[in-house]
Amino acid sequence: MKILVPIKRVPDPDHRIRVDLQRIALELSDVPHIINPFDANALEEAVRIREGPVPDAEIIAIGIGDPAWQQELRTSLAMGADRAIHVGVSGPPDPWNVARILRAITERESPDLVLMGKQAVDDDSNQAGQFVAGLLGWPQATFVSQIEFIPLDPEPSIAGHQLRVARETDTGIETIRLRLPAVITADLRLNEPRYAALPAILKAKRKPIETIPLTELNIELSPRVERIALQEVSSSRKCQYVQSVDELLDQLFLNRCL
Amino acid sequence: MNREMLTRDIYGNIDSVSKVIFYILSAAALACCAAGIWHHVRRWRREGRPFGSPSSPAFDWKGIFSRFWTRVLSQTALRRGRVGAGWMHSLLFWGFAVLFLGTVLVSTEYYAATLLGRTAGDPLFHKGLYFAIFECVLDLAGLALIAGIVWFAIRRARGTSSMAHQGSDWLVIGLLISLGITGYCLEGGRIVLEQTPAPALSPVGYVCSLPIAAADPGPAVVGRMHRTFWWIHALLALGLVAIFPYSRLLHALAGTVRLMATPRALGSMEPISIEQVELAGFIGVDRLEHLTCLQRIELHACVACGRCQDVCPAHIAKKPLSPRDVVQDLRFQLDQWTRSADTNTDPGAVSQQSLCGAVIADETLWACTTCGACEDICPLDVGPLTFITDMRRFFVGDGRFRGAPAAALARMQRSGNPWGLPAEDRLNWAQDLDIRTAADGGDSDLLYWVGCAAAYDPNCQRIARSMVRLLQRANVPFTVLGNEERCTGDSARRMGDEFVFQELATRNIETLHRYGIKKIVTHCPHCLNSLRNDYPQFGGLFDVVHHSELLLDLIETGRLPIDGSDLFNHSAAIRATYHDPCYLARIQRISQPPRQVLDHLLTHGHLSERIEMARHGRETACCGGGGGRMWFDDTPSDRIGIDRFDEVVATGADTVAVGCPFCKIMFHDAASDRGSSIQVRDIAELLAEKILQ
Repeated sequence: MKILVPIKRVPDPDHRIRVDLQRIALELSDVPHIINPFDANALEEAVRIREGPVPDAEIIAIGIGDPAWQQELRTSLAMGADRAIHVGVSGPPDPWNVARILRAITERESPDLVLMGKQAVDDDSNQAGQFVAGLLGWPQATFVSQIEFIPLDPEPSIAGHQLRVARETDTGIETIRLRLPAVITADLRLNEPRYAALPAILKAKRKPIETIPLTELNIELSPRVERIALQEVSSSRKCQYVQSVDELLDQLFLNRCL
Repeated sequence: MNREMLTRDIYGNIDSVSKVIFYILSAAALACCAAGIWHHVRRWRREGRPFGSPSSPAFDWKGIFSRFWTRVLSQTALRRGRVGAGWMHSLLFWGFAVLFLGTVLVSTEYYAATLLGRTAGDPLFHKGLYFAIFECVLDLAGLALIAGIVWFAIRRARGTSSMAHQGSDWLVIGLLISLGITGYCLEGGRIVLEQTPAPALSPVGYVCSLPIAAADPGPAVVGRMHRTFWWIHALLALGLVAIFPYSRLLHALAGTVRLMATPRALGSMEPISIEQVELAGFIGVDRLEHLTCLQRIELHACVACGRCQDVCPAHIAKKPLSPRDVVQDLRFQLDQWTRSADTNTDPGAVSQQSLCGAVIADETLWACTTCGACEDICPLDVGPLTFITDMRRFFVGDGRFRGAPAAALARMQRSGNPWGLPAEDRLNWAQDLDIRTAADGGDSDLLYWVGCAAAYDPNCQRIARSMVRLLQRANVPFTVLGNEERCTGDSARRMGDEFVFQELATRNIETLHRYGIKKIVTHCPHCLNSLRNDYPQFGGLFDVVHHSELLLDLIETGRLPIDGSDLFNHSAAIRATYHDPCYLARIQRISQPPRQVLDHLLTHGHLSERIEMARHGRETACCGGGGGRMWFDDTPSDRIGIDRFDEVVATGADTVAVGCPFCKIMFHDAASDRGSSIQVRDIAELLAEKILQ
């Protein structure tokens, strides 16, 4: 069994991010980066699948970005991925193009499962997983908080369903069955990712990172999303104490909050 | 009285056949003992540790012998904490040691006299005044031995102590008691049989002889009786020798070795290099071979007395950690290994079961606050904390660490502080204070090390603000590192991530060197310990003081005058108790300066009373925030150290003075949880309130 885990490099959400108004871009040079937390959940789950029900699973981490992404791929290898693929592009593409690249990689690697974060914490698009499933024509389960391997059921209507997953929806937890190959996107509640300390990172040095230029995948990036403007959110807040609920309502009304 | 008459016949009344049998049995007992010891030594010596400095330190003979005197013979550490048991063990030990020495002297006399062809009744030195002293001292030593062992037997029977118990302990106790009693019976018989001159020199033996003499059964019966006692005594003694390495008695050997070796330095940890980890493929301890030779000896030194368990804050908080059981569980593994047929001497051989998570549960490893109480109290210098931090290193290196504390480690690595906040915010607390950073060209030789808690935690920022205003009032020039300061890495190291620690430490040392900093003051005992004990291992040698020491000096030299003795204004005065932080009082042994600062406030009427808690100074109890526990998200009522907060409240104080930001945060949370109105203030805050009001 082969599991593909796309990894996105995102700015550390603990840090303050400034907007470069000229370039309509974020000023990220001094900000530390991390693996997108949802992707870390996806990777952790893949490692747990290998530690548990499918010991021979091969886990491949994919990064799509500039050479700095190799750092997050190294961390992924330290967390337990077997090998990594780095698709060299100048900046992170929009979700549609990420999905196109992932489709190309999926066609090369033919995995049984694409396990990825439900969204990235930098742009919060929550599209790539769904796009990949659509492009591949695979079944998908999004916002997953539990994955369970089930024995193959002989009953024809559900024949070949190998996974039972729980989805975190607005109305409650929905449990569905899935046939492989499939795309699953991970919720934070799926697991608690492990911490990759230096000995693991040193060990991971021996694991390969294959770099693929975009041209080799025959993909022309054609963004569907154009960024028009960015605005810095004001961090100054006005605080005041109120003595009663009535006064609170008055204040909310005066400040046009009601 | 003719002193030449004062002697006795060695082996009197024992025929040569008995002697031969006795020698054969002695050889057997000694062989049994030697075989046992050899089996242990074989495991002690197994080299399998890929870390640390080469394990052949230069033998410091002078130190070893002086420690034999000051730490082994004196038994001082034993009487700390448990005075009664300590004295009783001292009696038992000294009694046994004297009796053992006496036996050696008697043997020397016997064999020397035999070699020189002397006849019985013509001893070499076992006569006269020497004999008189010898008899008296040995007689009393027996009494000391019996007193000690009977006391221990009673304690064990009552089962009130936290001492662990195993069946063979009764065997040891029984052997020692009967050895003492039969020794006296034997002596009594001998006194009657041989009509030993001046029998009252051995008062107890003499008393034992009186009923025999009174019954006067005739020399033949007394002779038989004496021989019987002699044999029982001899067999018991040989039995004791034979079981020595197989029972807790082994602690006499292992403990002596441990105490004679280099004493433990609380608060310091062994550095491990990246190269060593690359070579080994892991870090820390997961198997018995990964322990140092001395650590394996420590496992056998431990008698499970439970002193460590009694003082362990995690154990008191009912967390699944007992330092005693950590050591005893590891010892059990070591004994299993010793009994196994493993004869492999290949250094790389992996013959043992994994310890981390299997023998020692994960929850046990992570319940420790690294407060050092267990290691400080241990009379045999066994290091439960070191076993725990060694295994934490393996655990973290093996990628098993997760959750909130792991996130704190990741934040220390990314952002240089466990809160994960940007470095550019490090001086936000000082926006309206006129202070200069080293980068601004502040050229003072004193650096105020602020630490992450005071930089980011709003409650702790008051400590730093008070400190700065006090230094300014005293006209003490100082600088801060500001945005360039990083976490010292104290909790990263104690959580087992040696390399996040080393990254932070080398970066800080580089910054401090760049600005030529020599002298540092900090209000954080964890930073203090790291700067004092950890940083020299990486070339960072600084003169570091706790702020209480500097503030006291400023008060006493008159640079920080506490004005207006306001003795009558007691309405505004504060009833305070001082809580000693573990890393300050126990590990750095600084407990007086903060109290003296408070006493100055007391004399000037700012405090109305300073109350002392039962557990104070070196014996303080942990707030629960050390060793990375600060980053575990358990609810306040389940936290380690909540009992300490209750102890604080029980004093009736309205303010608890602290000298550590972690204690401040933990107590602050505990106060909200318990609904207590007690104020938690750093000594700098209290002083600033009085001086700068």
